[in-house]
Amino acid sequence: MSQDWIDHNIAHKQAGDELLSLTATRDGQVRATWMNPGDGRQTSYATSVIDNHFPSLTRALPEVAWDEREIHDLFGFVPQGHPDLRPLVRTPRWPSEFFPLGAKPIRCPAWLDVEPDNPARTVQGDGITIMKVGPTHAGIIESGHFVFSLMGENILHLDIHLFQNHRGVEAILEDQPIANAVPIVSRVCAGDTVSHQTNWAMAVENLAQFVPDPLLSLRRVILLESERVLSHLNDLAQIPAGVGFQRAHQQALAIKECWQQGLKQLFGHRLLFDTVKPGWAAGADPDALLMLIRRLRQQWTPWRTLVEGHHGFHDRMTGVGVVKPHDAERFGAHGVVARAAGQARDVRSVHALYADMRPACILGQGGDVKARFDVRLGELEESLRLLEASAMRLRNENESPLRRWTVPDTLSGRAVVFTESPHGLNVHDITLDCGRIARYHIRAGTYRHWPLLAQAMPGNTVADFPLINKSFELCYSCTDR
Amino acid sequence: MPHRKHGRRVLQIRHVDAGSCNGCEQELTACTGPAYDWQHLGLDLVASPRHADALLVTGPMSDTMARPLNHVYSAIPQPKIVIAFGDCAAGCGVFQHAYGVRGGLDTADLTIPGCPPEPVQAIKALRTWMTTLTDPETEPKDSGRR
Ligand code: SF4
Repeated sequence: MSQDWIDHNIAHKQAGDELLSLTATRDGQVRATWMNPGDGRQTSYATSVIDNHFPSLTRALPEVAWDEREIHDLFGFVPQGHPDLRPLVRTPRWPSEFFPLGAKPIRCPAWLDVEPDNPARTVQGDGITIMKVGPTHAGIIESGHFVFSLMGENILHLDIHLFQNHRGVEAILEDQPIANAVPIVSRVCAGDTVSHQTNWAMAVENLAQFVPDPLLSLRRVILLESERVLSHLNDLAQIPAGVGFQRAHQQALAIKECWQQGLKQLFGHRLLFDTVKPGWAAGADPDALLMLIRRLRQQWTPWRTLVEGHHGFHDRMTGVGVVKPHDAERFGAHGVVARAAGQARDVRSVHALYADMRPACILGQGGDVKARFDVRLGELEESLRLLEASAMRLRNENESPLRRWTVPDTLSGRAVVFTESPHGLNVHDITLDCGRIARYHIRAGTYRHWPLLAQAMPGNTVADFPLINKSFELCYSCTDR
Repeated sequence: MPHRKHGRRVLQIRHVDAGSCNGCEQELTACTGPAYDWQHLGLDLVASPRHADALLVTGPMSDTMARPLNHVYSAIPQPKIVIAFGDCAAGCGVFQHAYGVRGGLDTADLTIPGCPPEPVQAIKALRTWMTTLTDPETEPKDSGRR
């Protein structure tokens, strides 16, 4: 039985399938869902937790190391054979009997009166320096704790301690009626909010067998691509800051601001919170959108010429923070990180929303900071192209009002839904029971990239860390939840 | 209105994220960018708590960040000011009742509402509040200590 579980999962990985989610339920099931990237077909497997144990996949599938540690921390189920069961989400402050997603929920734990730091894994030996950074930072940065083992300037090992921002998002979503979920899902992470909202809307619609009409789908594509432009502008602004290229940094922030002001005008929110709901998505005037894109291009084109013509900047990015294709594959990378390492992974290619849009998959070479920078440059322009095409369609379609739809209030069932967020494959694994949420699992785009970041660090110098980190641009919030 | 030695004309701010969704951070970054350029209004973010007059907190205060936040607060010299930035820090955000959070700050000298506060509103709230503080030059030398 347990061998079946391992064999099935390995077979999917070997077939080149994409792992959508690996998570547990309170009643003792561990479930894995895979997707065939050719046709989008999904397959789910489950194994039972017996005597509080389930067979670990980590040795065969290193990409699930964190998923299994998370199950261990939040459910109390032990992945048998896992090589590293140090706490990931838990801290020494958590009462030992407290498992927030376990069979016996405790709503208000009595935190222990100790420091929250988990012990770090470091390299021992003569001449090695241990450098700790965070969890609070000397700038506007989300909270995370990084422990470097250094030999002089060189990084030997990086131990990443996240989940400083762990709020318990999956648990508060449980038991909520369908109508209450949107504001919470919208705020799982500001960087990928439209992607999260769209996932939730699609899950409800799939379970209700509601088929969105073309206008609704078009509005969602516009919102998703607008979010990608916003996020890529942010990341493209931060990478030059990592090497002190202030002119490019400040100008990119100005372009981002132009885009944000436009989003506020078009959709009512500068970060697009609360713009997608089951059966609904915020609409925009196509001419105003086209005008905004024109304004953006006026600033974007000279900026692109500036950064592409700066040799010093390119030299600084080349060969730094390399992700090898083999590691990208092994760790289950996707999004910009995978594409910059030459791997064509973009779930828009199988997504119903993009059925007749054919977004180009922009690939990089070398898997270094420069490749990630360049892929974002190309993807931003591709998103602008998709936005222009969508706006034209909206205009030609002689816009009729959105079909009104009321969510049936006794919906039940499970749906595994995904979108390509600016940070990669964003998956929600949702179970509804009679109109209420029974289980809500979020596996966001950056989750599998954090261990990969640690993997890419040795061999680089410590001064390169901010640059490499910015080029991955991983969000903490949707990882920590 | 409380006396404050610093803060009337310039405010040096140290930021700590205590469980934010990164929306508040994005808008804070915008405040420092070329469009709003809050430095020319006497507002700035500083890297060290030792250089700060104020602690600005975002997020609903995750339990894990509560102690590190306190360490930063202790490192800021007196007199010091606490700013709750955004609905989560103010205690009225959507994560208020999650098991991992304390539901915002217990007390704050200034609360800036919004999810997230937009740069214009945030800067306006800070500037308006700064003008209500006592000007140290018109006060006896040792006033304003808490
Ligand atoms: S107030 Fe809103 S934007 Fe700010 S951290 Fe909370 S949810 Fe995010």
